[in-house]
Amino acid sequence: MNTDTRIKNVPVVGPGGRAKLASPRAKRRGRFDILPYALVTPLALFIISLALIPAVFTIVASFFKDQALNPPVRFNGFENFVNLFNDAGVLSSMGNTVIYVLVGVILSTVLAVFFAVILRKKFLGRSLLIAVLILPWALPGVVNGIIWSNIWDSNTGLVNSLLTSMHLIDTYQVFLGQNKFMTILAIEMVQVWQITPLSTLLVLASMQNIPDELYEAASLDGGSPWKVFWSVTLPLTAPGITIAMVQAVIATLNIFDQPYILNGAASTGASLTMQTYFISFQNLDFGQGYALSLIITIVTLVLSLGILKLVYRPVEY
Amino acid sequence: MNRRPHWFRWFGVAFIVIWSLVPVYWALNTSLQTDAQVSSKPSNYVPPTPTLSNYLALLTGEGETAAAIRQSSINILIECTLATVITVVLATLAAYAFARMKFRGGKILFYAVLATMAFPAYTTLIPIYRILSTFGLVNTYTGIVLVYVSGFLPLATWILYNYMSSLPLAIEEAGTMDGASRMKILWHIVIPLALPGIISTAIITFLFAWGQFLFPLVLSSDLSTQPLTVVIAALQGRHVVPFSLLSAAGIIAIAVPAAIALILNKYIVSGLLAGSVK
Repeated sequence: MNTDTRIKNVPVVGPGGRAKLASPRAKRRGRFDILPYALVTPLALFIISLALIPAVFTIVASFFKDQALNPPVRFNGFENFVNLFNDAGVLSSMGNTVIYVLVGVILSTVLAVFFAVILRKKFLGRSLLIAVLILPWALPGVVNGIIWSNIWDSNTGLVNSLLTSMHLIDTYQVFLGQNKFMTILAIEMVQVWQITPLSTLLVLASMQNIPDELYEAASLDGGSPWKVFWSVTLPLTAPGITIAMVQAVIATLNIFDQPYILNGAASTGASLTMQTYFISFQNLDFGQGYALSLIITIVTLVLSLGILKLVYRPVEY
Repeated sequence: MNRRPHWFRWFGVAFIVIWSLVPVYWALNTSLQTDAQVSSKPSNYVPPTPTLSNYLALLTGEGETAAAIRQSSINILIECTLATVITVVLATLAAYAFARMKFRGGKILFYAVLATMAFPAYTTLIPIYRILSTFGLVNTYTGIVLVYVSGFLPLATWILYNYMSSLPLAIEEAGTMDGASRMKILWHIVIPLALPGIISTAIITFLFAWGQFLFPLVLSSDLSTQPLTVVIAALQGRHVVPFSLLSAAGIIAIAVPAAIALILNKYIVSGLLAGSVK
């Protein structure tokens, strides 16, 4: 395995920000240069037909009544949105999703900062540890759900077995599907397990940009490791923490696989994305499905921008 | 920093190892036990008599479940491989144009591609389903691969764009002086130099494709196209399937991505960082 595992920040240059290779022929004769268009056409076709058109479609169609079992399609203004906010299932899922986001963003960020502190300096076996760290990120969410359902299980689960062996509980407990907060916490742990590796890498990359001299100066000033962490490490890692939190917001707001596997359609854990799926593909009410997708998208964007504004600060050394 | 006590690092290292590996170990442990052994209280922390019977039942068994696992394993391999190859080829071409050529509309397209990354993927689930059904592509490999490619192209293009932009221009300019066409330069100079970035992109794309669930859940309706993830979820939905068998199915489903993560993690790390610096 590679011994130098220091994560380097990749330089980023905006388009046009760098010298370009001009076509020799186009330059000489001022002729239209077709090559770049040929190179980007496949990408453009994919993005337009399967990302931009669907996105516009979602926005427009969320203002239409579009029910497969109740044609025809017609404009109905904000009716889909009003109906969503009167739907008990949707409202309960909104509450659930708020908890998913809060628990997921806080836990994954705290763990990521902790892991990054551990991994900041080189030590023997560090690259192996990074390989181990990455593992949960690489596994399918569905399978992670199955793995963890076996951990939380009320009859044969690992947690129950361990807690009983340690005499912390007398009888096996039910973690999923009874208490709402416990259910969501147990499900969100699965997602945190999966998203923390990426958060850690982002925080770590930022942390490694901090010059060692800053640490040395802070230590010489008599700062305890804890104090140095609060006054040097944490503030200077803000850019990485911001990106990590934004990724966590996007992931947690759109959580689907884990609650679907661990708790099914039960209201104790159903997320907003699950509601979108049920509304669209079980009730076949596409109009409301579009509207809910649109709401989730807007909340995702607003929250991401909010975090950028609150947490991000440019760092100069 | 140097004065941070050693116990802190070792506590952290132990924490990361336990945190990352125990859930996977638990699935492995369960998959090597019989149904009866799994139900013992407290649980067996190591398999008392390790058995491969669960794996054999799934991989060589004759029942409906085993057939489904085998067919969906083939499906997921085909879908992920095709999606990865197409994504990487198209992203390489586009990234080269964005990184090295100036052309009218290039910037707008570039930012439009990046903007799609800011939207949650599931926003477009319903319209994509309807577009595919209009063209009769629901429940086909083509449909699923097209959707995967469209989903992963922006990130792939972004990673490769960053990678190619950071390559020194001098070698390519020398190629131009020698009269090589730009496609020749791409093929003989840029692609070999960008190979680590291309490998990173391919690995990340493949892992993303392997992890897909909601899209194939909606876009494929039967075993002819359903990937392993969808079949395993359906298996889990039927509560009669014991954890021993379910865990074996889970281990089969994570074998490929786990091997990739453990062996090729260097490429994953560099690719993810190149893709997330926004």
